[in-house]
Amino acid sequence: MLEVDDLTKRYGDVVALDGATFTVADGRIVGFLGPNGAGKTTTMRAILGLVHPDRGQIRWQGAPVGAVERAHFGYMPEERGLYPKMKVREQLVYFAELSGLSTDRAKEASDLWLSEVGLEDRATARVEELSHGNQQRVQLGAALVHEPGLVVLDEPFSGLDPLGVASMSELLGRTAAAGVAVLFSSHQLDLVEDVCQDVVIIDHGRIVLAGVVEDLKAAAPMRVLQVEVDGQPWTPVLPDGAVAGGRDDQGRTLVDASVDLDTILASAHRAGAVTSLRYEPPSLADLFLAAVSKERVT
Amino acid sequence: MTGGTRRALLVARREWNQRVRSRAFRISTVLTMLVVVAIIVLPQILNNGSTPTRTVGVVGAQAPELPVFLREAGRATGITVQTRTFPNQAAARAALRSGDVDVLLIGQRALVWKAEPDDSLQAAVTGAVQALDRQNVIAQLGLSQDQARRLLEPPALTSSSLEPQTKERSARVAMATIGLILLFVAISIYGGILLVGIIEEKSSRVVEVLLSRLRPTELLVGKITGIGLVGLAQFGAAAVVAVVAISLSGNSDIPRAAPAAIAWIVVWFVLGYAFYSVMYGAAGSLVSRQEDAQAMTFPISAVLLVGYLLSFAALPNPDAPLAVIGSLVPFTAPMVMTVRIASGDVPWWQIALSVLLMVGTIAVMIRVAGRVYAGGVLRFGRRVRLSEAWRGAGT
Repeated sequence: MLEVDDLTKRYGDVVALDGATFTVADGRIVGFLGPNGAGKTTTMRAILGLVHPDRGQIRWQGAPVGAVERAHFGYMPEERGLYPKMKVREQLVYFAELSGLSTDRAKEASDLWLSEVGLEDRATARVEELSHGNQQRVQLGAALVHEPGLVVLDEPFSGLDPLGVASMSELLGRTAAAGVAVLFSSHQLDLVEDVCQDVVIIDHGRIVLAGVVEDLKAAAPMRVLQVEVDGQPWTPVLPDGAVAGGRDDQGRTLVDASVDLDTILASAHRAGAVTSLRYEPPSLADLFLAAVSKERVT
Repeated sequence: MTGGTRRALLVARREWNQRVRSRAFRISTVLTMLVVVAIIVLPQILNNGSTPTRTVGVVGAQAPELPVFLREAGRATGITVQTRTFPNQAAARAALRSGDVDVLLIGQRALVWKAEPDDSLQAAVTGAVQALDRQNVIAQLGLSQDQARRLLEPPALTSSSLEPQTKERSARVAMATIGLILLFVAISIYGGILLVGIIEEKSSRVVEVLLSRLRPTELLVGKITGIGLVGLAQFGAAAVVAVVAISLSGNSDIPRAAPAAIAWIVVWFVLGYAFYSVMYGAAGSLVSRQEDAQAMTFPISAVLLVGYLLSFAALPNPDAPLAVIGSLVPFTAPMVMTVRIASGDVPWWQIALSVLLMVGTIAVMIRVAGRVYAGGVLRFGRRVRLSEAWRGAGT
């Protein structure tokens, strides 16, 4: 398990991290969300030792993280992160060796991962000759080739087509199933909702929401209400204080979880025939926006 | 071997493999060798063995021994002299004009040239005619054979010089100049290759992946070593080819001390490259784009250039105070010392002191530049200020 504890970092007057605290459990896929400049990349870099925090600690399996622990980490930075002119297999072998594998083991592991990401027939191609999606796979291979216990990925889905997204999610799923702790950042909230089990939301260098996605949704103080009357979106008349958010263009309204559904239904009946009704926990995007905008107000 | 050393060696091995396999490396190595061989062998081939042949056209009265005397005088001045006799001046002048003869000797008293007189031919012909005259006068004086011989063959003087002979000295200066230029070019080229390599790693963000696996100093030292070995291989190959070519060609114009001087040039390449490359490395870590590299390297290139120019100032006078100081100060030592060693006798303690100062400074520079590199290499986008990188290291 990775524990990030009270991480604080300033660059001059800019506070990049302000006591960020969260965990990534073994075998879990954790989505790391936050607006631009919230501190995602700084956090990831701190985990990998690329940035030294002013305060706070990072622990791996209970021990403070140093060079020895980091040998068990894999990292995939946002796009690129490979030598364009180097051959695919050579590159994987090189990274594996740098992570401490012997030359023989590095070669074995590279061949294994090349077939794992489906690029065994491109082993001797230069990275620059590959498509963007395939480069991304090589990058993932480079992050995983030394069999790390934790893998950190910065925007692994950016620039991928739907097929690429599917194969990347599948690979991440298999990686986590093998017991690896996976932490990845993304802006694509719907994608995160599909791929990850846990989520950590950061804003202004502070963790504003963290936990298992389903639990967070269930525990959210709001629900999504979507009513159609006579086939048209209908704006519910709500008791005072029940409105948790405005209606979006799909007719979804965020309401307080304690709202009396019967009252709303009754008023809907008075307006016409109810043709559709949805009352469900909020989406990850709703949670994200609520968490981030609350932060913005305070 | 510690993990850090192993990782630095892995980095060096990658640099070596990637660069040595490239076509650019093979082509430039072969070209360098060819140029070196050409510099040494070509002058040799151009004036080898065959001494130039000159033809003297003779008109009017002449002694029957004249052709023999001309040949003898020519041999003494290093030319083969042939003689051709013409019945009249008109025919002789036509031959001179058409280039069949190089000079006309008229009545053993006057020389006529087509245009510019040829000094060595003039000396040979003059010498031959004077010798003939002397022989005639001696015969008229009725001297004994012994007296005549003593008059014609005065005792030869032995000759020696306090300073190295001009021929040897000018050859040494030429060698120092070539060595200096090679050193300057090699340090600039390989320093530049290192700089570009570091910026490439930065712009492709490979550096993030690398530094999650090794320390910045390990990466920097590994890169400097790998590229340095490539440079040394190329530079060393050129030096070996030069030594072999010199010994095979038997070119007497090349000083006997040449192989030692060439070995010293290789040593100074290693030291000079190590010194300047750490600075190029630090500079490279401060920029993210190749376009910004120029401005960063300007101060380094300027210092290198000062050493280069100072070396030329030291060429005519390698023991002047300025040259001695320049050969001890690490910034300029590689080039100035190369010139001093090639063109004169440098006391061993000065060489030892210079090498020691150089090695010590390199050790300090690796720490200083390593810190700047560590602080700069993970800052992307705009150019990083030196002070920012210095403070940013380790934070």
